[in-house]
Amino acid sequence: MRWSYIAPRLALLVLLWAFFFFAFDPLLKWGLVKGIEKGAGARAEIASLKTTILRPSLKITGLAVGDPGEEYRNLVEFSELSFSAEGAPLLEKKLVVDSAALKGLRFGTARKTSGKLPFVKEEPSELVEGFKKESKDFALERASEAKADAAADYKVDPAELGSVKLAKELEESYQKDYAAISSRLDTKKYEAGLEALKARYEKAKSGKNFAKQAKDYADIGKETKKLTSDFKKDKEETEAALARAKDSFKALEEARRKDLAAVMARMKLPSLDTQSIARMLAGPLLAGKTAQAMKWAALARKYMPSSTKGVLKNEARRGREVHFPKEKSYPTLLVRKLSLTGELGLEDPLEYSGTVEGLTTQPKVYGRPTTILVKGAKGARRLDFKSSIDAAGDELKTDSELSFAGMPVKQLQLGSPASFLVDITGGTAAFEADLKTSGEEIIGRAAARLAGAAFKPKADNIKAAPLRSAVEASFSGLSSALIETGISGTIKSPKLSIKTDLANALSKAFSGAMGAELGKAQEAAQKKVDEALKPYRAKLDGLAASKQAELDGKLKEAEAKISGLSEGLLKNLAPGKVKLPKFKL
Amino acid sequence: MNPIAIIRQFFQGLTAETTPGQIGAGITLGFLIGLLPKATLTAQLLIVLMMATRVNIPMAILSVLAVSLANPLLDKISDPIGYALLTSGALRPLWTSLYNMPIAPWTGFNNTVVPGGLVLGALLSAPVFFAGRRFGVFYNEKFRDRVMNSRFVKGLKASWLLDWYFKGGV
Repeated sequence: MRWSYIAPRLALLVLLWAFFFFAFDPLLKWGLVKGIEKGAGARAEIASLKTTILRPSLKITGLAVGDPGEEYRNLVEFSELSFSAEGAPLLEKKLVVDSAALKGLRFGTARKTSGKLPFVKEEPSELVEGFKKESKDFALERASEAKADAAADYKVDPAELGSVKLAKELEESYQKDYAAISSRLDTKKYEAGLEALKARYEKAKSGKNFAKQAKDYADIGKETKKLTSDFKKDKEETEAALARAKDSFKALEEARRKDLAAVMARMKLPSLDTQSIARMLAGPLLAGKTAQAMKWAALARKYMPSSTKGVLKNEARRGREVHFPKEKSYPTLLVRKLSLTGELGLEDPLEYSGTVEGLTTQPKVYGRPTTILVKGAKGARRLDFKSSIDAAGDELKTDSELSFAGMPVKQLQLGSPASFLVDITGGTAAFEADLKTSGEEIIGRAAARLAGAAFKPKADNIKAAPLRSAVEASFSGLSSALIETGISGTIKSPKLSIKTDLANALSKAFSGAMGAELGKAQEAAQKKVDEALKPYRAKLDGLAASKQAELDGKLKEAEAKISGLSEGLLKNLAPGKVKLPKFKL
Repeated sequence: MNPIAIIRQFFQGLTAETTPGQIGAGITLGFLIGLLPKATLTAQLLIVLMMATRVNIPMAILSVLAVSLANPLLDKISDPIGYALLTSGALRPLWTSLYNMPIAPWTGFNNTVVPGGLVLGALLSAPVFFAGRRFGVFYNEKFRDRVMNSRFVKGLKASWLLDWYFKGGV
């Protein structure tokens, strides 16, 4: 026996076996935990992880991810994730899972140990901080002293107004946009093109070959029509781009409203504007939830395969990969169907089940969107969630709808302890939301309808007794409320608009208790804000009007020239102008 | 080929398979392997070939390392060659059928630097071999005895474990 030959090979086999038996699973588990912790910014645990190599499979049990915002709470946990891969695609370096299962998915569960990671600091969200400040600054102290001339002594400094700052920014960005739009519109190109066609026409006209002349005329005619239609398209796009640039001026109205609320707060007077009141009441709560959702959306997008990455572009560390048509094509990683089950809520949880189909790292190869469908029902409670994530096109598009009826409301707080707080207890809520994203753009709406709840205002900060009792009275008979929010903007910087009938009740209480005085004070403050903003707004409007006129003039002049040239050319190309050869019989 | 076998061959090669032709062949094979991405079946098969034939292993390994260091520069030549081959209309049916075969994707044939590296390596193999053979003559004259008499090799020879393991080799 040649032991010198056999022994090293046996040793290598034993080492390989030992690595996969003892070290592979713990190493994979460690890598997964570290990866999740990095993504979530909180501790993560996996109870056990088991892989098999010969028939590739993975089973993870007891995964829990801490909430970076709450030390002793889990963001998400599940009891088991298991899947096994198909054999044939592995020969092509592809991991295809026909069906996987995720069991016991739960959110917001309690942790026994701290989920905080050392040296991880949660960056405060601009959106949340903005709403918290707005809510905190909502002044009610001097409401009783409100007089029509309350704003008379108050001086508005234009430099402090957000609307003035925005107007200046808009002026700068509009000028930049105009310069870009103007430089993109190259009318000379069309004029030169038509002149060249005219020269071709003259050359073709003097030609003797009838067949060639007819062909040249037809080509020139086609190209002239194409150039004219290209110009028209360009013109329309330019006009639309300028209109879009001007559209951003709408943000000024919102900034003006915020300025008024801020000026009222500085005068220690409450704003009567229902939108400001709605933002004060529901803003901090909704902004917190939105910021958290956006954080997760941004994280998911970071790790989500982009439409072209890994398919058509360079995906190798060295060189470039060229792809060929496949008779049966698999993405590099594909989970055809993942069935999931779990519970929602901690006390009397609602069981749900659903499926995730088409999870892949190469959506363009797969060619279909990833879809998620979750349903659950128990008694009056009903949960429906469906989502589609389409990365097969040039832009990542998502479309999600959530409806949760009969959601129990144990305790909910609206407002800020620094200004005014409403405690909502008992009752149920029906929540409906839809959200669409396209690239960075986001648009959606959500509505929560509370019913059978008790509304208890904490009006300790309102020193004026009549106002305090009016506010308390306005909430005393309430048992239902509607809170609506709209989201727009981009994922990195979402914009929220909030509406609630609670704000209407509060506004009525303010004006009822304070009479016309508060309204007049607000009008005066509004006037001051408008006066401070007026020169900047006028400048902005003047700039937009002058640039619009300048562009219109340019376009008209170019259109006249181009249509004149093209019409003349097309007239000459009319069939009657082609001289037929004379045949002598 | 397992890493232990490569180490074993490296030590054996310090003293055996040292004719100029074997050194030249080792350098040529190492040059070719060095041009390719190592995580492909093509490179792995060439490594097996290197271990299976009686070429000088240490020179081949040193050549792999040296060429791998120059990869960023050499890729600028092999990448366009590979791209031209992979996008050639005449070869498209061949690539398409390979692409649809099992195992073939593991060879990395559709990565531009693999076919490009193979072609570049084949074109330069003759000059590299002759240059390597001349280096072999030079090595045998100037360095072989010094290597054989070095403490490191003597120490290796004296070790009972390596003596048993490399029985008949050193």
